[in-house]
Amino acid sequence: MSILRPREIASLLLAGLLVVLMVTGNSSSATAASTSAQVSSAADGGAFSASKTITRVVKGLDGADDQVDSRSFTLNVDHTVNLRGRERVGISWSGAHPSGARAADPYGENGLNQEYPVVIMQCRGIDNPSLPAAQQLRPETCWTTSRQQRSQATDPSLAVWMHDAKASDEDRQLKSGLRDLPAECSDAATDATHTTPFVAASGKVYAACSGSTMPPEAAVGAAFPPAELSAYSDANGSGSVNFEVRSATENESLGCSNTTPCSIVAVPIMGISCDDDDYQCRREGRFEAGSSNFANEGVVPSVSPQYWWSASNWDNRVTAPLTFGLPPDACAVLDKRAPTAFYGSELMNQASLQWAPAYCLNQKRFKFQHNRIGDDPAYVLVENGQAPAAFVSGTREIEDKTTRIGYAPTAVTGFAVGFVIDEPNNAGERTQLNLNARLIAKLLTQSYTGSSRGQQRPGIEKNPLSLNLDPEFIALNPGLDRIDREAAATVLSLSESSDVIKSLTAYLESDPEAKRFISGTPDPWGMVVNPSYKALKLPTSEFPLRDTFVPTSSLECYIQNPAPYFSQLASPVNSITKIASAVLDAWPNVQTKCDRPNAGDPFKVGRVERQGIGTRFMLGIVSLGDAERYGLRTAALQTSSNVSPSSQFTSAADRRFVAPSTESLTAAVKLAKDKGSRSAFDLTQPMLRKQPAAYPGTMVVYTTAKLRGLDKGEAKKVSEFIKIATNEGQTPGSGNGQLPDGYLPIRKTGATAALYASAQRVAKLIAEQREPAAPATPKPSKPAAAAQPPVASAPAEVAPAAAAPGSTPTDSVVATDATVATAAQSSGPAGVLLPLLIGLAVLAGLGGPVTRLVHTWRSR
Amino acid sequence: MSVLAVICAWFVAQLLLFGGLEQSRAQDRMYDDFREQLAAATAPVGGIVPPGAPVALLNVPALGWQQLVAEGTSSGVLLDGPGHRRDTVLPGQAGVSILYGRSSTFGKPFAAMLDGAAGKKMTVTTGQGELTYTIGSVRRAGDPMPAAPAGTGSRITMVTAEGGGRLGSLAPGDVVYVDAVLADGAFVAPAGRLNAIGPAETAMASDTSVMPALALSLGVLAVATVGVIVARRRFGAIRTWLIGAPIVIALAWLASDLMTYLLPNLL
Repeated sequence: MSILRPREIASLLLAGLLVVLMVTGNSSSATAASTSAQVSSAADGGAFSASKTITRVVKGLDGADDQVDSRSFTLNVDHTVNLRGRERVGISWSGAHPSGARAADPYGENGLNQEYPVVIMQCRGIDNPSLPAAQQLRPETCWTTSRQQRSQATDPSLAVWMHDAKASDEDRQLKSGLRDLPAECSDAATDATHTTPFVAASGKVYAACSGSTMPPEAAVGAAFPPAELSAYSDANGSGSVNFEVRSATENESLGCSNTTPCSIVAVPIMGISCDDDDYQCRREGRFEAGSSNFANEGVVPSVSPQYWWSASNWDNRVTAPLTFGLPPDACAVLDKRAPTAFYGSELMNQASLQWAPAYCLNQKRFKFQHNRIGDDPAYVLVENGQAPAAFVSGTREIEDKTTRIGYAPTAVTGFAVGFVIDEPNNAGERTQLNLNARLIAKLLTQSYTGSSRGQQRPGIEKNPLSLNLDPEFIALNPGLDRIDREAAATVLSLSESSDVIKSLTAYLESDPEAKRFISGTPDPWGMVVNPSYKALKLPTSEFPLRDTFVPTSSLECYIQNPAPYFSQLASPVNSITKIASAVLDAWPNVQTKCDRPNAGDPFKVGRVERQGIGTRFMLGIVSLGDAERYGLRTAALQTSSNVSPSSQFTSAADRRFVAPSTESLTAAVKLAKDKGSRSAFDLTQPMLRKQPAAYPGTMVVYTTAKLRGLDKGEAKKVSEFIKIATNEGQTPGSGNGQLPDGYLPIRKTGATAALYASAQRVAKLIAEQREPAAPATPKPSKPAAAAQPPVASAPAEVAPAAAAPGSTPTDSVVATDATVATAAQSSGPAGVLLPLLIGLAVLAGLGGPVTRLVHTWRSR
Repeated sequence: MSVLAVICAWFVAQLLLFGGLEQSRAQDRMYDDFREQLAAATAPVGGIVPPGAPVALLNVPALGWQQLVAEGTSSGVLLDGPGHRRDTVLPGQAGVSILYGRSSTFGKPFAAMLDGAAGKKMTVTTGQGELTYTIGSVRRAGDPMPAAPAGTGSRITMVTAEGGGRLGSLAPGDVVYVDAVLADGAFVAPAGRLNAIGPAETAMASDTSVMPALALSLGVLAVATVGVIVARRRFGAIRTWLIGAPIVIALAWLASDLMTYLLPNLL
């Protein structure tokens, strides 16, 4: 006799199955539900827009108010949430007073001699009268880099702020602002003085009345140039700038962070409102709208940006509240677990910055850390078992034939040639630049001579001094100045080995013009390659410094410091991020500046000065992620040409230039061919050349890890990382765990479907640690759909309603002008579970007796 | 079929009836603990409080409603009553304090807030003292967010779920908020709050960390069931019933409690 009857076994199994179904069904649908909340709460990057009526009122001679001017000022900021240090946000405005006396350099104190500009600053605090005083912004928490921008002492006849109609009586005294000035201020008793102190995040008050009483970040020669500026409005009163925000990492005194909110403050200067008939206060600007002020002449005080703090100017302000993302060291501070280090490609920099907190703040996940090193050394670490995984961008040879390494596509991004170039005659920045492979080859092979010292180099004496003097560059980019510069003779590049350089040099190698130039054929205008680089073998992952020519000079400095001149010009650096910040600062890494501390000391050569605004010209090889984060402009690269490589040309006609964009990256990634799990996708430069719409700098970054012999625990983490990175990690956004700009999302469908499928397959293989018997057969890539549907599954993490991910509670985020609406959040399972259960119970309860009845009826 | 019906009915009963018993017992226990802590002045006022510990007593005399708030907002903590979100200040302290609570299962602690609570006074008793808040009306998606409290003002935002339609009270799918406001006089919030919480503690999240315990309890339940069937054949129905029923009911209770951890926490 059996212990259990078959019917009992069956019902037990059924019950068990039901319970399991309920458990798994509920848990998976609960995750899906939290997703929708995330999407709805982080819908956009926090674009900001606000309008305000701004006025200037001057009391007429009869004592009545006389409205001189009233305008509707609108400020737009393209993104304001989860900002990181040095990120640039796009600011545009309309409705301001047209500016005059344009300065070449609008930043910091250099921008003070302008009329009717819009003063844009970063201030700690939020403009909301209902907040405690400590959280509000005021002139004392607004950052300026010089004391001239905040504290003024002048002859009382010119002290227009003393006539400000909106100022308090206290502020109209001869001495106003901070009381009890320190001795350093050396304030003359007869001067009219207004001191706007700076209150640091720590609470320390800097008197800001002299250079020595400013916060340390405002010292002369500080690490970062001024970011605040007096921006110029055109004849219609509109304008736009890229404004660089600073976090507490860059500017501790200002102290903006994920816990300390800050704001961008725009003060449109339209003139001080006066309460009496003071001549200086009532004046209009003396420069015409749209005029320049190259000579840096003095301007009319009542319409200058110097007095932005004066009550009537300050009342016209519009403020955009900002939120900052977690600082880069958040994981080290908040999570004490030992990290699992991934090594490799710097292209992942910005992505891993946003991804890491999604791991370390979630105790169920491991602590992810990305150590940036070259692709080759990172791969070697994986092969030797010293690192669990590496980020690389191409297939590598395997040293030990028994090793099996899988390649999981993790990000689609690439490199770009970042540039900062000013239009001549103070007309602003150049926004578009066309480069072909030959121009990049000329820069990289050090074929421009740079200066008269470089012209001593035998073989290239006749070559142009710098890029902007090259007729080929002029034909492709007309309208730039012809001033020769050492910085324009080179492109700042990497000294380390990297797949970026490999991809870039492969682009040169695949281009007939560039290839012929490097092989020694002069270009159509007679420029030849630097003989040291003639017939250089490309592609290479490490661009060599080959020229050892040391010029002779009669200058003492160069006699004391003989060095290969072209290496000083190129001076490549060891990380792509350094190139991005050099381009951001327009500070070339050319090492030719002679300097000595005192007249008797020996000379040394060092890095040249930052370039002055108005004549900047600098290029650098940057990653797309960095370029988007810092708002760098990127060059369009030539993809096709119908012009013979040996004929001269005078325009960009018959050539196609493609800038990095979602479309051009998509076009490129569509060409990628799956070569199996143990190899990167096939995406070579000759393939890219066949598709003129594809951006040549497109690169796919892979997570590589061993498919056998990897520790089980580590294998699980790597596999988990790939799955998370290719699912929730591909949701575009600025929050923790999301994909920053500069990366093309890898999705289940569309152009990236093959990459997605490959990543999931490799993740599984890595987790299993059972090497496949034979390399997987390559699948033909599917024709991609034109439209990309939104990501199917988005992050499992739930943001608090209506708040940016990573910030503390929702309700503390308050906008100044618009009221925030409560975000919708709902859960499907919660809505249907109880009715479903009751329904099921009733159905089954009725069904049981019914089947029994049917059974008895049949057997009868 | 009958087995399915029994399981479903048991689970519904657990959520709606037995859960209420369990919750009111947990409340009684926490009330005793908290009373003792208040008397001894050891009730938590800040810093990191272990999840599940009582932190505040809410009382709306007009409704005859009283609940003890426990620390933490994961599904498990909310079985015992309303929970305090750990990255916000404690109730009664200056700033915004967020509480989560269930509205249709396990004693329905926050159901009262959705129905006629607007305008009533709510007293909040914590280790720092007693304060009286005014309850506002229910805030749903799209309603304007109130301004952040200024100075020593304080707000308690009670987060729960409600449903629409005919089965509204049984289908709480949408997250809603009820704000209780205190204009000024709130207590100072000491530093040292958590500045991030895990995904299991956000609204409508489930807590999957309970999976191993659940698997174990289901396994034991299966073994007990087999044991009961075998025993019935050997010892007869009455004796088996006497011995087996308490065991099986206790195990079923435990398993369905653990399963509730996997459901959205505001249900």
